[in-house]
Amino acid sequence: MTSARKERMERRVLPALVVRLSRITFPARVAAAARRALGRRGRVELFFAFDDPCSAVALTDLATRLSGREVLLVLRPVVKRGIPGDPAVEQKRRYAIDDARRIARRLGMGLSRTEPLAAQETAFLAEWAAGAPQGPALQRFCVAAVGRLWLTGAGPVERSEYEALWRECLGTDPPAPGEGEGAVRRNERLMKRRRPYDVPAAWVHGQWFFAHDRLPQIAERLDELGWTASR
Amino acid sequence: MTAERVDFFFSFRSPYSYLAGPRAFALPERFDIDLHFRGVIPMVMRGQSVPREKGLHTLRDVAREADRLGMAFGRIHDPLGQGAIRCLIVSELAVDEGREREFVLAASLAIWGEAVDVSTDDGLRGVCERAGLSWADCRRALDDPAMMARVEANTKALGELGHWGVPVFVLRGELFWGQDRIEDLETALTDAGLARS
Repeated sequence: MTSARKERMERRVLPALVVRLSRITFPARVAAAARRALGRRGRVELFFAFDDPCSAVALTDLATRLSGREVLLVLRPVVKRGIPGDPAVEQKRRYAIDDARRIARRLGMGLSRTEPLAAQETAFLAEWAAGAPQGPALQRFCVAAVGRLWLTGAGPVERSEYEALWRECLGTDPPAPGEGEGAVRRNERLMKRRRPYDVPAAWVHGQWFFAHDRLPQIAERLDELGWTASR
Repeated sequence: MTAERVDFFFSFRSPYSYLAGPRAFALPERFDIDLHFRGVIPMVMRGQSVPREKGLHTLRDVAREADRLGMAFGRIHDPLGQGAIRCLIVSELAVDEGREREFVLAASLAIWGEAVDVSTDDGLRGVCERAGLSWADCRRALDDPAMMARVEANTKALGELGHWGVPVFVLRGELFWGQDRIEDLETALTDAGLARS
């Protein structure tokens, strides 16, 4: 290919093609209708991190926003994420707190924590949650845990407090240390395969959204696919 | 009393900057602010990596957002390199002539909605003339190192703020990153008592 042709391909043809293909919704709508005909629910897979304030806001909002729809919120906690070698990673962690505070305010919530959490401080929560069965009990735990971490708490992360919360929500003792590590790595690999490179990312039947940025759009996508909220 | 200053950091290579443009330039109509346009060199030309996944997601996400906002998007000519630099230089001339709104909106629409190659004289000239700028003046600006120095100063200023991407708005030292954070900026402006009655 000549360099002029290659340049035209890279600068015009491919970007336009990506946009054009992204606007074709017919196959997803047919697949969603088939799924409903088989009695299956819709799915929103949320890749999130307990140490990320934007994940806390997105998860809390989505749990409410999706209730009343025939949709399962699949929770996929991760620890490692982001663009490899990103020089702005520390700045992004700090900025995420200001950003999450503003989004929370818009949604009628408040952010209590003012300093970032290290990923390792909350990694045990990701391990517990990644290894647990999906469903209302896990969702209750995750929503309550991110709430304590970011929306009501501000101090050090006390493991015992979350052990009690786990027992309250799931009715069992939390998994032993290291038990859910493999499940977290699987979530991280799945996230990579699906292409999102950071959290919170919601995968909604073939499209993904940065969840905290696009909460109403996620609901609109479900409406478009036919999983509307019941009255 | 002087109006409050709001800086608007923008890249012609950023489709999110394109989405922000019309709402950003309309802010002074509703708030008592001076909006300072500050064009910056694209991220990848500043040595920051943008993975393929991010590029693809951006195109798909901007398509959805553009549809929601009723803006043209999809006939694209990526201006990376000379196209972006030439637009940045002309935008400095447009600032001097008080026509930055016209030029920035016309150039970004040309790039993201009309597939105009702004690295060519033909492509850029049409955009400049649409914005009410004289092509002869634009040509002179393109060869003026002082104009490029202004672009570099804007880019450095964004780095000094500790930020990495665009569009970014700065109000009293507080940063608002993203076309979808304009509503938060509006809230901050209202809280600061800057809404026009």
